[in-house]
Amino acid sequence: MIQALQIGALVLAVANLLVLAVLAIRRAALARAETRALQAQARMRDLALALVDGEPVELGGLGDDDARGLAVLLARYGRLLTGAARRQIAGFFEGRGDVEREIAALGDRRAWRRATAARTLGDMSSPVAVPALLGVLRDDPEREARAAAARALGHLGAAEAVEPLLAAMTDGRAPRSTAGGALILIGPAAVPELQRLTDAVDPALAAEAVELIGVLGDAGDAAPLIGLLEHPAARVRAGAARALGRLGAEEAAAALRRALEDRIPFVAAAAAAALGQIDDVDARDALLAAAAEGAHELAQAASEALVLVDPDALTAAAAEEGASAEMHEAADRVALRAGALR
Amino acid sequence: MSTEGPPETRSVVLVADDDRDILDLLAFRLGRAGYEVVSASDGEEALRLATERRPDLAVLDVMMPKLDGYEVTRRMRADEATKRIPVILLTARVQEHDVARGFEVGADDYMKKPFSPAELRARVQTIIGRR
Repeated sequence: MIQALQIGALVLAVANLLVLAVLAIRRAALARAETRALQAQARMRDLALALVDGEPVELGGLGDDDARGLAVLLARYGRLLTGAARRQIAGFFEGRGDVEREIAALGDRRAWRRATAARTLGDMSSPVAVPALLGVLRDDPEREARAAAARALGHLGAAEAVEPLLAAMTDGRAPRSTAGGALILIGPAAVPELQRLTDAVDPALAAEAVELIGVLGDAGDAAPLIGLLEHPAARVRAGAARALGRLGAEEAAAALRRALEDRIPFVAAAAAAALGQIDDVDARDALLAAAAEGAHELAQAASEALVLVDPDALTAAAAEEGASAEMHEAADRVALRAGALR
Repeated sequence: MSTEGPPETRSVVLVADDDRDILDLLAFRLGRAGYEVVSASDGEEALRLATERRPDLAVLDVMMPKLDGYEVTRRMRADEATKRIPVILLTARVQEHDVARGFEVGADDYMKKPFSPAELRARVQTIIGRR
């Protein structure tokens, strides 16, 4: 019996050693491959820069490592560039047949391969891939592939993907952070379509569109949002208030002051925060009243807004008997900041 | 490979960004356009090089370690030795108040990322040509 246990222990020890040896060999191989990849990228850097710049370059006879290194560099540069330089990168991948190959792989039966193809297409800067990626975002049964397609559409700056991305964001077909990140990558080019979508029948879609205009738009995009402070859906009204605050829309001050009276506390709170962001001194009395008497969320937002609009008035009001806890909290921070500045 | 329309004397352009790829792209494009390019990978290095090399123009990323592009610009404007060096800010943030902040601290122009190297070269040429 004891002998059997000793043999068993020996076998286990040998097996452990073997596993450790395999892991060590594998790690060394990965480190070597990484070093080779970095060396190839270093060798290819000038060639990649010249290619991006539109200079004639000779690509014949590149070894596998160098070809991969060049592709990695161009994929990275594609995320940093616009205009002719980006078109050069797309032309490189299209010319080698890489775009066509990866589009075909979007139909692979393995989900991980479809996701990899989508990610790779996002790095190739080629607008040719957009329709196929939209198909994956809409129809692929696997969330992993749909998320990769969403990300790729963002990297490609595909303005035609705005509505599908927003829809995927609201119905859960793509992770909210991924689809939202893709829309942010598309940038201001997404704003006209987002403005159209503020009329969407689905309030969730309209609310997301409004919020994103606040992130991607500029002051010129604020005016159409003012009317949305009276939208029937509370989340659209709140989104409009947040967007107007973010855009610094001073022309929305009167409408935002009215929104302070909204019957839904989170809408009124969003309006209070926006009034702070646009530094509306005419809202001081209304903000003081909301800070003193509003529900917690509104009182907190109004107190925070007063820190920006009129900290002296906030401090004075907080010193009065019966001032709300939210006013005390904000006034304490004003005092702390004043002390730090002295 | 030849340079395109090199300036008569090589003007010096300082480029600062913590992203090595962006530094490479800027240095390559501006180098090809005939400028001497000095590179910095953070705000402190950018400020030191601005003082030491007195470049004809600085292209500064807004989000850099140690000192951001706004602060580098503000300190350059406060120093007699660097106050007249034109600055182009490179920024991923394009909202009006970010742009306004750049101009408030004394930047001459801004470009958003992702950027077009050809457009940047044109702006560099325009600003240096005005001096």
